Amino acid sequence: MTDSAVQGVLYGSLAAGAVGMWLATSPRTGALRVLGSFLASAGLIAAVAMFSGPGGDVTNKILFWLFAGSALLSGVLMVTSREPVYAALWFALATLGTCGLFMMQAAPFLAAATIIVYAGAIIVTFLFVIMLAQQQGRSFYDYRARTPIMSIVASWLMLAALLWNFQEWQQRAPAAETGPALTAEAASNPFSQPSELNKFDSLRALGLSLFGDYLYAVEIAGTLLLVAGIGAIAIAPRRAEGTI
Amino acid sequence: MTADSGCYLAVGAALFVLGGIGFVTRRNLILIFLSVELMLHGVSLTLLTFGRMHNNLEGQSFTIFMLTVAACEAALGLSLVLSLYQRTKSLDVDIWSKLSEPDLPKWDKPVQPLESRLERAEHPASPRLTKAGGMPEIDDDFPVELAATTDPRKVLTPSPPDDDY
Repeated sequence: MTDSAVQGVLYGSLAAGAVGMWLATSPRTGALRVLGSFLASAGLIAAVAMFSGPGGDVTNKILFWLFAGSALLSGVLMVTSREPVYAALWFALATLGTCGLFMMQAAPFLAAATIIVYAGAIIVTFLFVIMLAQQQGRSFYDYRARTPIMSIVASWLMLAALLWNFQEWQQRAPAAETGPALTAEAASNPFSQPSELNKFDSLRALGLSLFGDYLYAVEIAGTLLLVAGIGAIAIAPRRAEGTI
Repeated sequence: MTADSGCYLAVGAALFVLGGIGFVTRRNLILIFLSVELMLHGVSLTLLTFGRMHNNLEGQSFTIFMLTVAACEAALGLSLVLSLYQRTKSLDVDIWSKLSEPDLPKWDKPVQPLESRLERAEHPASPRLTKAGGMPEIDDDFPVELAATTDPRKVLTPSPPDDDY
């Protein structure tokens, strides 16, 4: 396809996605909302398809479209679902899709860590809170979106601007093997550069970067976790003493 | 730009924008937090792609720190949501839009003229803050005078210490 045709298809699919989001967030019947969700995710997937696809063989491409499609579809369904529990489960599916994309971006440790932290801890906590704070029956505030049209217009404008930028980059530097060299400040973190011994996708290289260049930051992050845990215990409501 | 980073960047941007729509349109406190997590997913994917583009591991390290902060944020935010729910028995975020002080201008109401606001206020000079906490216990060894006024700038006036203090 020529560049103008690519641009036309990109903006057309973005417009279809916006209409789908509008249908899905509006207070309409179930069938129209499901149709809108699928239209929105199809528009987003078509917009992604206008970029140069994933490299590698057919397996790579199939896996990419599987993961990206499931992440985008369950993201749309999470945002538009009316039941909080379903929204949390759709978010778990979106996490799985994103972790597949992490894996394809040569970050297997991060994929595993994200699944453990999100699917294992955060989703479970969300489900606990939903169960603790669930209303009897349907709650009206889950059934009325707030300012759907304005937010969709604003978000889609931002998405179109981002995608336009990415396309400009792609046209300027089409399909190089490696990206541009880093600036001197960024490249001055010596442990973050992969070498022959430490391949880019190996856990050893990630550990060297994390505990070599970012040792103090790791310590601070550990302290932050401790402080946040103590703060969460202090904030969380509890029974009066001796009532249980 | 490497050969296949464009599609990953596009997926990351789409996830971010979807999370943003959820953050604005949802009215359930819990789902607002979930939408923020979706935005964080989009950002992590973008960071990983940039890291791979530059053949550098800083993107992955940064994503690990993002994961840590996201876990802290979820813990603190959910405990806040629970305590807010205990107060109102509702997860509607619109209830908490009335947190501001009563005489400040509201976003959905026209601003009153300044004179009527000043007339209504008894002490126009002093800030009207909610009382918090009890009266402090005052140590006799460090005498203070309690001024007979409600002006918070004059309530606690420490007397000058002795010469041998």
